[in-house]
Amino acid sequence: MQEIKERLERDLANAKSAADVEQIRVQYLGRKGCITTLAKGTDFSRFSPEEKKQFGIRLNQLKNFATEAIQKASQQAGAAAPKKKASALDLTAPGAGRRLGALHPITLTQMELEDIFQGMGFSVLAGPEVESEYFCFEALNIPHDHPARDMQDTFWLKNNLILRTHTSANQVRTLLRFGAPIRAVFPGRCFRYEAVDPSHENTFYQCEGLVVDENISVANLIAVMKTLLSEVFRRDVKVRLRPGFFPFVEPGFELDLNCLLCGGKGCSTCGDGWIELIPCGLVHPEVLRHGGIDPAKYSGFAFGIGLTRLAMMKYGIRDIRTLNAGDLRFNKQFAVL
Amino acid sequence: MFISLDWISDFVDLSGLDPAVIADRLTMATAEVEGFETIHRFVNGPLVGKIIEAEKITSGEKTLTRCVVDCGNRTYPTVCGAANAALGKTVVFAPAGTTLGDKKIESTTMAGHPSEGILCSAAELGLSAWHEILFELPTDVPAGTPLSDLIPETDTLIEIDNKSLTHRPDLWGHYGFARELSAIFGRPLKELPLYDVDQFGSLPLYPVKIEDANCLCYSALRFGVTAGSVNIPSPVVMQRRLHALGQRTYNLLVDLTNYVSLELGQPTHAFDADTVSGICVAPMGKEGTFVTLDSVERKMIPEDMMICDDRPDGTRVPVAIAGIMGGLATEVTDTTTRIVLESANFTALRIRQTAQRLDLRTDASQRYEKSQPPANVKVATRRILRLLADSGTVFHVESRFSMAGDLADSIRTITLPPGRLNALAGIDYSNDTVTSILRSIGFQADFDADGVLTVGVPPFRSAKDISIPEDIVEEVMRLYGFDNVPPVMPAMPMRPLFVEKSIRMEHKARRLLAAAYGFCEVHNYGWFNDIFLKKIGYEPGPTLTLANPAAQPESRLRITLIPNLLALVPKNRPLMDAFRCFELGRVYLPKGDIDDKTPCQDSADKCLELPRLAGVSYLASGRTPEEHYLEIKAAIEDLGALYARDTAPIEFAAGRGEPTPWQREGEWVEIRQEGKVIGALGVAGKELLSALIPEGGMIVWFELALDQFRGDLYPEVHLRDLPRFPGSWQDFSLVWPLADGYEKLAAKLDQFSDPLLLSREFLTSYKGKGMEPGMASYSFRFLIGAKDHTLSGEEIDGFHNKMLGFLKDAGIAIR
Repeated sequence: MQEIKERLERDLANAKSAADVEQIRVQYLGRKGCITTLAKGTDFSRFSPEEKKQFGIRLNQLKNFATEAIQKASQQAGAAAPKKKASALDLTAPGAGRRLGALHPITLTQMELEDIFQGMGFSVLAGPEVESEYFCFEALNIPHDHPARDMQDTFWLKNNLILRTHTSANQVRTLLRFGAPIRAVFPGRCFRYEAVDPSHENTFYQCEGLVVDENISVANLIAVMKTLLSEVFRRDVKVRLRPGFFPFVEPGFELDLNCLLCGGKGCSTCGDGWIELIPCGLVHPEVLRHGGIDPAKYSGFAFGIGLTRLAMMKYGIRDIRTLNAGDLRFNKQFAVL
Repeated sequence: MFISLDWISDFVDLSGLDPAVIADRLTMATAEVEGFETIHRFVNGPLVGKIIEAEKITSGEKTLTRCVVDCGNRTYPTVCGAANAALGKTVVFAPAGTTLGDKKIESTTMAGHPSEGILCSAAELGLSAWHEILFELPTDVPAGTPLSDLIPETDTLIEIDNKSLTHRPDLWGHYGFARELSAIFGRPLKELPLYDVDQFGSLPLYPVKIEDANCLCYSALRFGVTAGSVNIPSPVVMQRRLHALGQRTYNLLVDLTNYVSLELGQPTHAFDADTVSGICVAPMGKEGTFVTLDSVERKMIPEDMMICDDRPDGTRVPVAIAGIMGGLATEVTDTTTRIVLESANFTALRIRQTAQRLDLRTDASQRYEKSQPPANVKVATRRILRLLADSGTVFHVESRFSMAGDLADSIRTITLPPGRLNALAGIDYSNDTVTSILRSIGFQADFDADGVLTVGVPPFRSAKDISIPEDIVEEVMRLYGFDNVPPVMPAMPMRPLFVEKSIRMEHKARRLLAAAYGFCEVHNYGWFNDIFLKKIGYEPGPTLTLANPAAQPESRLRITLIPNLLALVPKNRPLMDAFRCFELGRVYLPKGDIDDKTPCQDSADKCLELPRLAGVSYLASGRTPEEHYLEIKAAIEDLGALYARDTAPIEFAAGRGEPTPWQREGEWVEIRQEGKVIGALGVAGKELLSALIPEGGMIVWFELALDQFRGDLYPEVHLRDLPRFPGSWQDFSLVWPLADGYEKLAAKLDQFSDPLLLSREFLTSYKGKGMEPGMASYSFRFLIGAKDHTLSGEEIDGFHNKMLGFLKDAGIAIR
């Protein structure tokens, strides 16, 4: 043991760097170091109990001496002492265990819109996806000879019900349920009978909004839409209204959003600087009447937000079909709740 | 649809207006412009020429015509390949040295004959794409006239989005757009030149009858012409415009009807009067065939509306498909000397249905589908005769303007109460602003002393378009400019918001599954796929069924969310070895006979539409099926807790029977709440797994009827007081037959009671090495304590011994 002690002192004296000291530590005190293995390599059967005890004491002294000497040398070499504890704890590995799942991007967009609308005093309502011609068309002043009533655009059931083509179908239901005044949005699933391609789906989502009260005007509609879009896009937005035709509003508008990418100069996303976003208008008096509301006393506005379109814009989804495809490599990316 | 600014300029002066500005203002005030393009025609150099010599020659396989063309100052020899090169025709000649676009014309020799230029087709002149035949002019155009005197080099075409014209039939013609532009730019609108037909009021009636309610108005006027006089080329001004809009030109009469249709939106048709004795508009009445002008035999059904020759012997022979296309048998030919000019109006739906069924969408049907105002019926006839007379054609009117039905050409009145217009707009327009805007588009408008606005709506604006005060608001606002409307937030009193609880609860469930259990939300279609159902051996029984499904096997609406979720397992399995996905969506259960077509106002009468929450979890390996199942069961238990932990806790009961391929006896449980079944949970059985994922792996599924789920967004919690004195706990591991299961053991333990016992927790179960076959070990922790003191060692030992005694009596061994 004396020999080991002297050799250690010599080695330490020759050590030039922290790395050298560390190497010496391994040599002497490491798992296979000569001090560590000293006990294993000794035949204790030949020792008396007293000898064993003495051997133990000396071995401990040697260990203590070596530990101290190495630590000192290591400090002198400008390195921190080897941290045995720290090396057992990898703080850099990624967290483990069950991780967040994901919500559908449509759900996320819907939740965000709901939050904004609720903040503005709108109720969030639900309505049926399987609808009658009455609520989907007739009550909305869509005449019997309107193309939307053909097989071309609408999924028909064999019992003459339809899959609603727009969330507007919930307008008259809502008026009948709540009367006026009312401020509500109704997000939901809609269906159109059309061929599916990267930008067309037969199953998609809309969020319809309806405000009915005394003295509701086009100026109100513009203000609410502008505020809504500023909230959605988290900045001041420019919008413009232009004439648009929908049988259940009069006057009817297309609301365009000034392109946020190019600032309205025109780019590959918007074309001419404007993005057609929200069809809207003052609720047609015929619709109010179907909802049991007196159009002489009340007026209102309605708007339809393409929820699917908005989600695609927000998340940069290029192919609409991925939304209903159930490829979890896509869905899992929306691990934001 | 395209509109030509060259054409519009006949009615309103557009000089000095940039097409981009015109396009933008139209978009903002009238209809969406999709774009505009300026076309360039090659009119500098070509001359009007007369073919004064024509001789057919052959060159190899081809038949050519060797011509001499008189161009006024001189004649040119040329060789031409077009079939209509013939003696006496007035055509366009491009002499050598002329440049037509990027093509330079040179003198050549063709088939041994000199050719000092070319005779031109419309395509060669840049008029349109028609290149098959020579562009022909009326013979009264003098030879040698430079083409540039007849056709301006450029025209600007503005493309309008047809959808934005759905409600504006008046904009299906150029004159309608001229009226809009006149109002937008404040430039006067020239009156449309018309022929006076009322002067023929004393002439005999032409027999016209309507026996189909889908015909709103039918007019006919008969006139005589010299044979061949309407089969000549139409005036250049008409031809150049028709070409610019992609129309082919044929002859004066055909071009005239097309021209007026594009100008007014009102289709017309001409019959050879000698092939028709009188007109009756009637339904086809039976199955049959009809040969249209394009020589195609069409299959007709009884509902189709036909224009019939009402013969003196009482028979009726269809001569045209109303509103869509005329018949071959009554076509005007170059021997025709008497013509019946039809101008009529039909209901949009009938025309659309027939046109769609025949797959025959014509310019006429497209316009009728937009509900043209009937008032244009007479205007169109007058316009055609005007243009016919202007072309120099001599005709003799033989009948008065004969009409059945209603022309609806009176001015309609709409009254707006004082202040109504400004209240709806949300802006204070002056009375003068309102009246001058309305008058600029041909409306009458006057305020009385009380501020009542009376508006006279001209008949050219269809009643579908303008009929209520709100329509007047739109007219004023769009022309005033929406940009000039200052935004004003509505003022509404504050009151509690109605909250649709179901939607909030759905969101909560979604977030729980995703946040705590790693589920990923998906959207599936609302219908089953029969091919997949067959693969997994599922027959859903009666479902609501689509009459026009997206694809044939996808006609049945889903009554459970599970199959479409199961279909995602084989799809995603090759990409990942473990996943959980859920869907929150509707199922559609039929009510009553699924083919019952009687109309109903509320879909709930025929369809029970219910919200469901379902999920599947796939695991390739690493757990036992039971462990996998218990992990998902925990999610369901937490879902229940989320809504109603203490008020209406959910329970599980062994599922009986095998109602679906994913429910196998002994491998699924019912989820219950207050004794009512609200869902099911289970492990996919062997058969289903081998059908879905023969490569291996396991699936746990669940489906919850959210509408049946009782509970609250923010449910009650039955709070227990915290013990004031420290207690203790004791763990027991109990050996119990696996076949009896946890639930029976727990029921047994429920029988144990002790005043010190506060609660019992299940810790874990074990059924591995060291256990007797068929036995499992279940570990429980018993929490004990007293309300008024700290437990003594004796009390703790006493509890322990009492428990041991209970277990011994119950025959439960301790591990």
